[in-house]
Amino acid sequence: MPWKDGYTISDERSLADAEIRWPDGNRCCVGITVDLSLAAGPEGIRAADLTTPVAHFAMHEGLDRLLEVLARHHLRATFAVPAVMARILADRLRAIAAQGHEIAAHGFRHEDVSGLDRHEEAARLKRTAEILAEINGRPPSGWFSLPRQGDRFAGGSISPHTMDLLIEAGFAYMGNGLADDIPHWWVTDFSSRRAILTLPYYYHFDDQFFCMFPAKGTGLENPDALARNWRWEFEAQHRRGRYFHMVLHPQHIGWANRLQILEDTLSHVRSFPGLWNPTAEECARYWQATYPAETHLRLEPSIWQDDPGSLS
Amino acid sequence: MPDDLDRDLAELTAVARRQEARHEPIPDLTWPGDARIAVNFTADFDAMLLRRLMNEPPMQLAKGEFGGRVGIWRLVELFDSHGVKATIFTPGRICELYPQAVLAAARSGHEIADHMWEHRVPKEPELERDHLQRSTSALERLTGRRPAGTRSHHTPSLLRELGYIYRSNGSADHRPHYLRDADGGNCLVNLPFHYAIDDAMFFSFAWLGTDTAAQRMADPERVLDLWWNAFRQQHGQGRGYLNICLHPFVSGRALRIAMLDRLIARMKEMPGVWFTTCEAVARHCLSVHPPRGGWA
Repeated sequence: MPWKDGYTISDERSLADAEIRWPDGNRCCVGITVDLSLAAGPEGIRAADLTTPVAHFAMHEGLDRLLEVLARHHLRATFAVPAVMARILADRLRAIAAQGHEIAAHGFRHEDVSGLDRHEEAARLKRTAEILAEINGRPPSGWFSLPRQGDRFAGGSISPHTMDLLIEAGFAYMGNGLADDIPHWWVTDFSSRRAILTLPYYYHFDDQFFCMFPAKGTGLENPDALARNWRWEFEAQHRRGRYFHMVLHPQHIGWANRLQILEDTLSHVRSFPGLWNPTAEECARYWQATYPAETHLRLEPSIWQDDPGSLS
Repeated sequence: MPDDLDRDLAELTAVARRQEARHEPIPDLTWPGDARIAVNFTADFDAMLLRRLMNEPPMQLAKGEFGGRVGIWRLVELFDSHGVKATIFTPGRICELYPQAVLAAARSGHEIADHMWEHRVPKEPELERDHLQRSTSALERLTGRRPAGTRSHHTPSLLRELGYIYRSNGSADHRPHYLRDADGGNCLVNLPFHYAIDDAMFFSFAWLGTDTAAQRMADPERVLDLWWNAFRQQHGQGRGYLNICLHPFVSGRALRIAMLDRLIARMKEMPGVWFTTCEAVARHCLSVHPPRGGWA
């Protein structure tokens, strides 16, 4: 096999805690992603997903309440928006951007692209970027492929071409990857060191896996576990001087006691010194300038031997 | 009809008896000095290899990759900070994917043991032999020490032939015990672990092929409580044993390193805790409590 193809997406070791510096001597980066998709599963947003009470709440009161909480805590977020939702919520999105939040792409209808051929995926990617640019007055610089509650796995689905297509289309970053808990370089070709910056994601900090997950049923409501995950991770990452992120959905975190959990978590987070709260784009620009792939992507030479009877 | 019932009765009873005969408990087990409990922290370090073997999609591989890039280093640092020696079960292939991490763990004095060449045991006998030999020599070449144990279901006769003295599978008994072939030979020490003390069962989405509706994500406080209670129960009964199964891609996350740090600190406040490697426990069993049925 070509070195690491099908095994790894980056170098062998992350940056150590001591190597990480944030702007202005800050100690911990706090990234917030708001997912505006209403997709239930791999097929992406369907008409039926838009006509439920949950969808109405997500687009109105849930979103209002979430924006109020963020404003009250002076925190900015990156909104991951499928093209379909951008059209539906165009006026709201412009207002959200005007408040200092970032608008990033999240697929055409947040569909699973893993089975698409390269040409079809490229066309959808282009159209999505165009729609977001029309509405927001500028093209998106980031792309997300976040998971849905009905997915088989909790990491988000991409195709073998997605990362390469994002590089070709000029995206500055991919919004969710699982190989690190800080920004890192996702390599699409090891020989040429072709890579795209990827921001960390982990499903234990994503509200959708704790709020009536994966559907209605007894004992499936566990926002208290989410709150503890957030608190333990934030405190540990702050101690290490790394990165803390959370993924929020208005339809989940916007409701009553769950919103209070967010409120309490953010109060706790903000009681710590040295926080840097950039949008994903600002974080990516900083990382690109401070830890460029040319100097900080440390690819080891291959020592892999193909063997008959073994995976290649 | 009654004949069929009698035949079933005889057959099932014989199966149960044969299985029982394979197990030799160590009822009078004692630990060195005044230790009341032996604690084995074990880390199954296969990074993305099992995900790759199961043909899981790219984000799943990246999730496993966290174990090699970040998790294993943090676990080693955590164990070192507490003076705890752990056992890293790793597929031989990991010596090619993350050689520096495996070497660093070995240099810190942790045991490096086998976890199958590429996280599977081939059905074909010749290929199985080939895989186990490859894995054994890859680990020996990198660390300078031949592995003494495995977490796998490799054929016992092959394990014994290649010099293995223990395996770590299943939960047939709370304490280390001896396990033999169906025909009574190829004895190995077995160091049991239970899925209830396995990080992946609480934190790893879609573990062991489970479907989406079967997932309940836990948090560190809940698992800390559960595992602390398991430790106290084994410590309280004396001659206790606890094998804590971790995965670097799961437990290497910052929130769980913090959880384990608290767990180890609490354990250290209790008297008579022997934190050691699996190999040390296996050698202790063999020298102090050799198998009554012989080491054949």
